[in-house]
Amino acid sequence: MNSQITPAVELRQVTKTYRDAKALDNVSLRLEGDRIYGLLGRNGAGKTTLMSVLTGQGFQSSGEALIFGQRAYENDDVLSRICFIRESQKYPDDFSAKQAFKSAALFFKNWDQAFAERLVEDFQLPPKRRIKKLSRGQLSAVGVIIGLASRADITFFDEPYLGLDAVARQIFYDRLVEDFAENPRTIILSSHLIDEVANLLEHVVLMDGGRIIMDDDADSIRGTAFTVAGNATSIQSFVAGREVLHRESLGSLASVTVQGRLSEVERAEAAELGLDLAPVSLQQLVVRKTMAATDTAAENDAEVGALK
Amino acid sequence: MNSAVNVARMQLINKWTFLGIPAVIMVAAFLITLAIWAMIPATGVTVYSGAVQAVMWYFLALGVQSLTLTFPFSQAMSVSRRTFYIGTVGLFAVVALAISVLYYLLGLVEVATNGWGLNGQLYALDWLAGSNPVVQILFYFITMVALFMIGFWFATIYRRWQATGMLISWIAIAVVLIGLAGLTTWQGWWPAVGQWFVAQTPLTVSGWAALFCLVLGGGSYLTLRRAVP
Repeated sequence: MNSQITPAVELRQVTKTYRDAKALDNVSLRLEGDRIYGLLGRNGAGKTTLMSVLTGQGFQSSGEALIFGQRAYENDDVLSRICFIRESQKYPDDFSAKQAFKSAALFFKNWDQAFAERLVEDFQLPPKRRIKKLSRGQLSAVGVIIGLASRADITFFDEPYLGLDAVARQIFYDRLVEDFAENPRTIILSSHLIDEVANLLEHVVLMDGGRIIMDDDADSIRGTAFTVAGNATSIQSFVAGREVLHRESLGSLASVTVQGRLSEVERAEAAELGLDLAPVSLQQLVVRKTMAATDTAAENDAEVGALK
Repeated sequence: MNSAVNVARMQLINKWTFLGIPAVIMVAAFLITLAIWAMIPATGVTVYSGAVQAVMWYFLALGVQSLTLTFPFSQAMSVSRRTFYIGTVGLFAVVALAISVLYYLLGLVEVATNGWGLNGQLYALDWLAGSNPVVQILFYFITMVALFMIGFWFATIYRRWQATGMLISWIAIAVVLIGLAGLTTWQGWWPAVGQWFVAQTPLTVSGWAALFCLVLGGGSYLTLRRAVP
């Protein structure tokens, strides 16, 4: 990797402590520009905190969070290149969606009004109704439209689909991919609807308990685990020595999710043992990885507790 | 600087908030005052009204609203806290100055029309009207800015520390005021304090208020610097 290029996003040992919990626990991360990133993880994993700290809207307790090599906090140069609409974004009390877009046009230098208007139609948003009278889905649509039409160099979408129906979500994904193809930029999309977004992500960052537990290209992640099903005893010998993410069994049958790649020889061996191999979807992998991480953390905590 | 102007333009996208409602309040307060005066039997005695204050209290509320709703939105618009502060307070100062000049001009009309034909005093209060025009305008201006900044600062404190912040602030203010009152009583300073108040002129009141505004402005800014939307 060329370390000369300034990454779009960089975190160096960032920790954010709230009164009773660590929202970010010594997080280091480096993301190159002009790609679509998925920031995945459960609620409370630290996704929003990470984005708040990066954009200078929130404050870390220690460490450094940089955008294009600089802190965003009170830095108009950097701020003018980013857009971060929160999941629970607040708007001035008497604003209509149209007025919100009008002010976005004032601040985002790449703002595309025609694109925004097209999105308003796509989402069937009533542009003149006051925002506080919009439904939850329409409120999300306002944020999505600002995020897309701002064409900021780095755009953060924080769970942008809340209350959006399946059709509206698909419109969002389609427009995002289309517009990204024409105007490449850095998109960071936090989501827990992993299967839905899996196809548009180029790179995945998975968080749990304030830590990053996976940071890899989506393509390489998809092949990093597999599920093997069949006779429990055969599976036992087949997966011996491998990292098991998940295990299910019913009578003499078992299904085990295993981390790692398989060689041709191993595939043949599995076939000989009468075992079925299946790829693991990104969502399943995320669920397994997260649960495995939680278990490990719990065990560690138990050990620490025992030592006390 | 340019983006601070954009913050002001953003605040004005909905003309109603910063311009429409204050205008309605001022016109309504004026008309209601006239109506009341007209109902009082004419006895040749001058009648007074404090209706000029009405719009000033609205600005206290506006200060709160700018911070609670417009600040989180400005963060989403990638505006720094500093720029938001300069743009918002700057816009408000311009509006307050315009209203102050308007009050002064209305005061001239009031004097010329013998108190709107009703011998009333609304804009050209005796205490104020004798002063230099600049002092009159300054007095209105500073008073409005002070009220706006009070609202703005309290809203910022609430934003950062929620109910705990409010509670501590109010208790601290109460303790300081009671302490001062106690000290004055204990030292037997009340007569001197009374004389001091009587001796104040519009100019000196404006001066003290300006000092107060500086404290409020500085405090608000420092509180806002670490506020999270």
